[in-house]
Amino acid sequence: MEGISLYPVYLVDFTGAIIMVVFSVIAVYEAYRLRRERPDSVLFSYLFWLCIAFAAFSISRSFGHTLRFLFIWAGHPEVWRAISPFSGGLNTLTFAVAATLTFYYPNVTMVIARIRAKAEDLKRAKDQLEKAHDSLTLLNRTLERRVEERSQELLASERKFRRLFQGSRDLIFFCDREFQITDLNQWGANILGYESPEDVRGRSLASFFHEDKEWDLFVHQLTVDGFVKDFETMFSGRRDEPIFLMITAEGLQGPQDGIDGYAGIAKDITSYRRMTENLIYSEKMAAIGQMAAGIAHEVNTPLGIILGYTQMLKDDLSNDQERFADLETIERQTKNCKRIVHDLLSFARSSSAPESGPVDLAACVRHTMSVMQHSFEMDSIDIHLAIQEDLPHVLADGDRINQVVLNLLTNAHDAIGQKGLIALFLYFDEKREAVVLEVGDSGAGIPPEIRDRIFEPFFTTKPVGKGTGLGLSVSYGIINEYGGEIEVLSPPLDESYEKYGLNTLFRISFYQFLR
Amino acid sequence: MSFMFAISFILFLLIPGPSLAVQVHGPPEGYYVHQIGHLLFISSIIFFLTFLKLDPPSPRRPWMFLKISMFLFLLWNINALIAHYFSNMLPREALDTPLDIFSHRILPPITTEKYIYFITRNDHLLCVPAMFFLVLALRAFRQTLDSEDSAEDG
Repeated sequence: MEGISLYPVYLVDFTGAIIMVVFSVIAVYEAYRLRRERPDSVLFSYLFWLCIAFAAFSISRSFGHTLRFLFIWAGHPEVWRAISPFSGGLNTLTFAVAATLTFYYPNVTMVIARIRAKAEDLKRAKDQLEKAHDSLTLLNRTLERRVEERSQELLASERKFRRLFQGSRDLIFFCDREFQITDLNQWGANILGYESPEDVRGRSLASFFHEDKEWDLFVHQLTVDGFVKDFETMFSGRRDEPIFLMITAEGLQGPQDGIDGYAGIAKDITSYRRMTENLIYSEKMAAIGQMAAGIAHEVNTPLGIILGYTQMLKDDLSNDQERFADLETIERQTKNCKRIVHDLLSFARSSSAPESGPVDLAACVRHTMSVMQHSFEMDSIDIHLAIQEDLPHVLADGDRINQVVLNLLTNAHDAIGQKGLIALFLYFDEKREAVVLEVGDSGAGIPPEIRDRIFEPFFTTKPVGKGTGLGLSVSYGIINEYGGEIEVLSPPLDESYEKYGLNTLFRISFYQFLR
Repeated sequence: MSFMFAISFILFLLIPGPSLAVQVHGPPEGYYVHQIGHLLFISSIIFFLTFLKLDPPSPRRPWMFLKISMFLFLLWNINALIAHYFSNMLPREALDTPLDIFSHRILPPITTEKYIYFITRNDHLLCVPAMFFLVLALRAFRQTLDSEDSAEDG
């Protein structure tokens, strides 16, 4: 009876069972150590319980096989048959446990991987959020610093331009689109004769223009070109005196398209203008004087010859009454002509070199007044004489100064006619360092249109035959000859003259005097 | 409501009958359960190895040992499945099992089934190496931990 012996199978079975037990115990020990070291590791936990299951399987199986051999060898196979189902059941159970664990581990790992991925996502999001926060914080700080810097720059700029605006000696103005003044500097208000810019704000710029046509031209240029440059015009301020301004202005661009308003700077050129006019006037007067001097020189000699021959003829024809009377007429008219020529030469300063010595101006004034006193009383003209004591003597010719005073008083008398006041002020002006003589009258005043011509030779408003028109021009020439100035104020704007009711005031300033 | 429930409960107690709820487990069930256990183990190992294939973990050495171990356990399970099948298939007359276990043999004629039975009965040739590689994997994991610890200490 041959066949295949099962002995090798049993040998492998028996030996293998023992080795399995040994390996499984070692495995449990190793897995336990791993798990103890890393209790949070899912892998090691899985391996530990897997090893437990294998150990249970190995021990159960090894015991089963060993007992089988023993019971069969001892002749009690029925005992083994009774135990066998328990061993088999336990083995099956260990498979199920091992299988469950092996199924479960990847799933847990996947779940953990997903949780970890989400945690990573959250961490990334957190990191990004922190970075964004840091960036925002940095940005915020940078922004705050920049805002602070810009604010400081703006403040400095605002201060600079505010100082420029407030400190400028020119008139700086801002208008809205309807040319209503919205802002004005303090000096600008003063130029216009106001105390404060508040007095001017809200007023129309047009109301300050003296001439409507100039306003129209100004607006036209500004609206068409967008700017005006060095526009010279005359303003009427709060005071009556005209203000000459040179305006540079431009339209201000608004946030939207179009002009939002206007800004401009106006330079007060009143003094400059007056000075220029005076210069032109002086030049004109000098030219007239030169011409008058030339004519006077040429006429003077023939007049002297005519006068000489007339007087010789008078001697020859002293018996012929009719002819003698004619010759006297010729002589008288020739003398008139000589006097006019003399006056012309006085105006033109072309007579002999001026004699100048210390002149007591107060004495001159009193002397001339005494001469005119009777005439004034006849026409009920009151005299106000205000002479400062201890005045310095001016350097001039006393007779010629007397002539000037006489001319001015005669003119004042003619201007008043009857009933009025003539005032004379003689004082030393500390500020200008000049001895000043003022002659004022309560006459009708001088119209503005002829004010610039009154010192011209032969200009007169008096009826024909009453005046030659040389009085003021001769006075002008004499005063200029001694380095002085003569000017007319009609009306005099100083309040101190108001109480006298003066409408015209001639002011003579002597700069050459003995201290 | 609770009164009706109480009456019904008392009537059930007074009139008892067979519940037919407890299932009887006869002799072949153990065999099937055991085979199903092997199949379950096989499928879990395949799932495990597939998982490791799709998402290879590191370090490589311990995982390599673990995969070899699992693969050998897979083979062992298949072997055991076949061995149980043929053990169940063979008739009692195919084996001679006297009291002397050293005389146990497979009786002729030796068929393919009997050869397969003989070969598959040596399942320890698979499960012992599988267990060995499991021990190797655990030790490799341990070495990895030690090297990590020394690296952290260093």
